[in-house]
Amino acid sequence: MSRARKVMLLGEIGVGKSSLARRLVFGRFSSEYKPTIGVEIYRHDIPAAALDGQPASLILWDTDGNFGDAIFRHIYIKQASAAVIVADKSRPDTIDAMLRLARGFAEVLPGRAIHFVINKDDLTVEDESAHVDGCVLAAPIQRESPIPLIRTSALTGTHVEQAFIATARAIFRRGH
Amino acid sequence: MATDPAPAHAPDPQALLAAGRYVAGRNVYGIVWIDRDLIATASFGAKADFVTVGEPIANSVIAFIGSEDDIRALQDDPSGSIELPGVVIHGSADEQERYNLSLFWDPAQACYLLLVARASLDAALEVELLRHVRFRLMAEEQIKAKSAELARANRDLEDFAAIISHDLRAPMRALAYMTNDLEETLASGHLEDAHTKLAWIRSQSQRMSSMLSALLDYSSIGRKYRALELVDTRALVAAIAASLPVEGGTKILIEGTWPVLETLKAPLDLVVRNLADNAIKHHDRPGGVIRLAAKETPQALLICVADDGPGIAPEHRQAIFLPFRTLVAGDAAASAGIGMGLALVERTVESVGGSISLLPSDAGSRGTTFEVVWPLMLQESLKDQ
Repeated sequence: MSRARKVMLLGEIGVGKSSLARRLVFGRFSSEYKPTIGVEIYRHDIPAAALDGQPASLILWDTDGNFGDAIFRHIYIKQASAAVIVADKSRPDTIDAMLRLARGFAEVLPGRAIHFVINKDDLTVEDESAHVDGCVLAAPIQRESPIPLIRTSALTGTHVEQAFIATARAIFRRGH
Repeated sequence: MATDPAPAHAPDPQALLAAGRYVAGRNVYGIVWIDRDLIATASFGAKADFVTVGEPIANSVIAFIGSEDDIRALQDDPSGSIELPGVVIHGSADEQERYNLSLFWDPAQACYLLLVARASLDAALEVELLRHVRFRLMAEEQIKAKSAELARANRDLEDFAAIISHDLRAPMRALAYMTNDLEETLASGHLEDAHTKLAWIRSQSQRMSSMLSALLDYSSIGRKYRALELVDTRALVAAIAASLPVEGGTKILIEGTWPVLETLKAPLDLVVRNLADNAIKHHDRPGGVIRLAAKETPQALLICVADDGPGIAPEHRQAIFLPFRTLVAGDAAASAGIGMGLALVERTVESVGGSISLLPSDAGSRGTTFEVVWPLMLQESLKDQ
């Protein structure tokens, strides 16, 4: 078995965590919204060429958005090597939740890689707080901490694989 | 001394085994034996069929990846266990079966036992119920957002109706007064005075006609633009700049990156033309500079139209996008137009899913800068029109 690492998928309900996982693992998207209850686990293999010359697997723990901060007291989070924390571009409150979850994860598992993902990038958002100029949306997050931010669309597949490859690279760079 | 009563029917080991086989055979649970090195050595029951015997248990039960140290620690704590309730493990297929996993160390056999149980029917029902409740909550949230949007649109419509009735009624009333006045002038035989009043009536009628035409344009924005086309925005802006009447040494500078993009040409032309035209018309000094700048971002073309004119006073900033608002009075108002330019611009930008804002400026400082966010990916609804 290649190197395998556990990655938590965190974020508010309905931000598209499961859609991202399914897009990554099965290469498809379903418009039917089916909230995740508890936890669902996926495996995604990353070829050597995309990493440091050795293949690896990410074991994605797609969690119930309803856990909120309680996830950090749950057995599910144990031994996670990284977190991909997702927000919905069209719902500014999910960005606040993303920042809160990042703080919680960094407290429970310090030194582990974290990536922010702004999903549903295919949507046209009129809200001023989610201004289409990427810098504006990224600014409050970057002030919070220098965590990489990637914009994805599970619907179109844009940047989904790149987001998880970036996570895998960060895991092995940090040696967790 | 009291002793525990013996059970009425002591379980027969053979019967227990048979019951175990029966339940496992009915696909309710499975057992996996795992050695000290965390290799699966045997399995029993259909629920454990997915485990490959002879391989590390984590190969089959990916939920254990990363937990190897916790599993080994169970050997020092025979009363402990690792419980992972209600877990769905997606293999190569997008499976939906939910398991309760329970792993513990059996000192008697010196191996681990993993119990794989199907989550109960009650749990499955509960999950479905939860899904429906959440789905409903999400739908309610969406309905709430749409209702708020609708309420805002209604408010806009009411405001619009109020503005229109006020702004059109005022010149109508003035015309009525003037015709009465004209009658009296004619009756008194002052023909020269009558000619002056007739000229005024003609000019006011033309102004009202222009207002109505502008209103028609305003109300039809978003309905008349149909064709996406490849637009060289730099060429478009250069053509606009060349066509505008500039006086007194006013310069129009084109700056930044104006790309070639697939978009709606006519509304883009209207927006840039009106903003530039406004900047020229309202400039109060010779040698003014109007800057038309653009920057491409992944999702939008950011367009800035900036001038070094008198600026807009703070008390007028709120009202500038309302129909029929001009910031000049008296004779100057006639040359400033009917005050529909910025209203048309805002509505046009919004009709393509973009936004416009008047950038803040320091109190008392000169100059005005409008920023337009012109989306590169136009709304699906717009493309279908």
